Amino acid sequence: MDSRKYPLYFSFPALLVFLLFFIAPTLVGVYYSFTDWNVHAQSVHWIGLDNYAALFREPRLEKALTNTLVFAASVTVLQNVIGIALALVLNEKLKLRNVLRLVFFMPYVIAPVVIGYVFRAIYHPDHGIVNRALRELGLGALAQDWLNDPKWALFSVIATDLWRVSGFAMVVYLAGLQFIPKDLTECAAIDGASYWSRFRRIVFPLLAPSFTVNVLLSLIGSMKVFEMVMVLTNGGPGYTTDVFYTYIRSTFSMGQMGYSTAINLVLFVLVTAVGVPVLMLMKKREVDL
Amino acid sequence: MNRRTRARLLLLEAVAIVCALLILIPFFMILVNSFKDIRESALFGLSLPSGKWQFGNYKDVYEQANILRGFKNSFLISGLVVVCVNLCASMAAFVIQRRDDRTMKTVFYAFIVGLIVPVSIVPTIRLMDLLHIQGTYLSIVMYYTAVLLPFSVFLLVGFMRAIPRELDEAALLEGCGYFRLYWRIVLPLLTTVLVTVTIVVVVSVWNDFFGPFYLVTDSRKWTIVLQIFNFVTLYSTNWGVVFAFMVIVVSPVLIVYLLLQRYIIDGLTAGSVKG
Repeated sequence: MDSRKYPLYFSFPALLVFLLFFIAPTLVGVYYSFTDWNVHAQSVHWIGLDNYAALFREPRLEKALTNTLVFAASVTVLQNVIGIALALVLNEKLKLRNVLRLVFFMPYVIAPVVIGYVFRAIYHPDHGIVNRALRELGLGALAQDWLNDPKWALFSVIATDLWRVSGFAMVVYLAGLQFIPKDLTECAAIDGASYWSRFRRIVFPLLAPSFTVNVLLSLIGSMKVFEMVMVLTNGGPGYTTDVFYTYIRSTFSMGQMGYSTAINLVLFVLVTAVGVPVLMLMKKREVDL
Repeated sequence: MNRRTRARLLLLEAVAIVCALLILIPFFMILVNSFKDIRESALFGLSLPSGKWQFGNYKDVYEQANILRGFKNSFLISGLVVVCVNLCASMAAFVIQRRDDRTMKTVFYAFIVGLIVPVSIVPTIRLMDLLHIQGTYLSIVMYYTAVLLPFSVFLLVGFMRAIPRELDEAALLEGCGYFRLYWRIVLPLLTTVLVTVTIVVVVSVWNDFFGPFYLVTDSRKWTIVLQIFNFVTLYSTNWGVVFAFMVIVVSPVLIVYLLLQRYIIDGLTAGSVKG
């Protein structure tokens, strides 16, 4: 049968919405990033590379760039480490296995904004339960003003996001573990392989598909972080936790539309530069399997 | 099972329970503090209210914020996006996978790119303005549909491969048209994937803040998440009431999660494992 007979127009509604509301704003954004578009001005003028020249002179861009990358890298690495660890533990014959899985995934279905507010209370320097627990344990010296101390703020935001997303990684790894034949690890155990070498030589290589997918999803997702940072620190103190989307938001609220579009475009380039190679790698591996 | 393995399992279970408490404590904190008065709730403790239980906090939320309207908006927007995404994505996936020519491959890769790159939000506002739909339900529904289509198309194309072409051929030989083939044969066979798409859409739209924050200026069209944001900005002096609001926002989600746990967990992770 001729596959060309399948009518093209079936794809039109999806294409129309996607092109009009996703691709078009991106392309229009390229144009606006070269203009002085501002809510306070009457007309929009082409100003060439002025926005970018100004942007790359601003130390704030460097802060946003470093913070976004540090945030994305830390969340990606730690989410996967915690996710694998939890999956391995919950793959054992524990009595509460199902309840525990349910609990670990729970934060993932809650709005990040709400989680942000709860953790603002949890990190409170005087009453928050983190510092209170530290004092109870006699570790009062370790208590910090978690969200207002430049040394700790980014760390605290990262920890909060890990609280939210680790359960997701766990579930992806648990699904991957189901595909590993039991006799494979059992044979190795009988041959005297230690737990660690069984993990390194058998389990982890077979988890590769789950691993690549998880890395890709958390890298891309965490570079687009917004709500969590906005609610917890709003980029502060100073710009120590400022990320791309909080930067965009503040220039947007000052009415500098062209400028904030330029920042959005820099993020676009960054995510593409990181995301596309990882995606290619993933596709290549798919063929190999 | 020998003694050593059993001891090891007990130890692992104990560690896992301690970790689970780290997840549960914040939820417990929201709940107990929602019953405390203005002074006690500001201490963010984990103990039960020392004085009278302040059920009035919930009444305050109900009176000060229009939560019913917020829920209605969240419900309406999620529902419309579910319909749009499921329809558009399944129709597109149907021909993308079946034609499988160069044009459709290009279309498919365009959607994949949409899976990675971030939205340009400020030009999106401008575009809605040019189309004269800025601030309407239509604008936010179209925005979400566009953002969620790439993932849904990607997932559905993968599952279309599992539906044998022989089915199409038999139906077409019998004189069935392409639309009926899609509607009566392909779509019913995709039901399980469409459930997945629906779950992903509902969880993303219901919890999202980014979209309505930029695109919906009219407070009558605010979703529940935008309402809590605004509420905290205005009433952050009384944490008891804020915590009560959080309970109101979080509990429906948790109830649905507990009822449909298997589907939700499988649904949200399906794209990553099977795709």
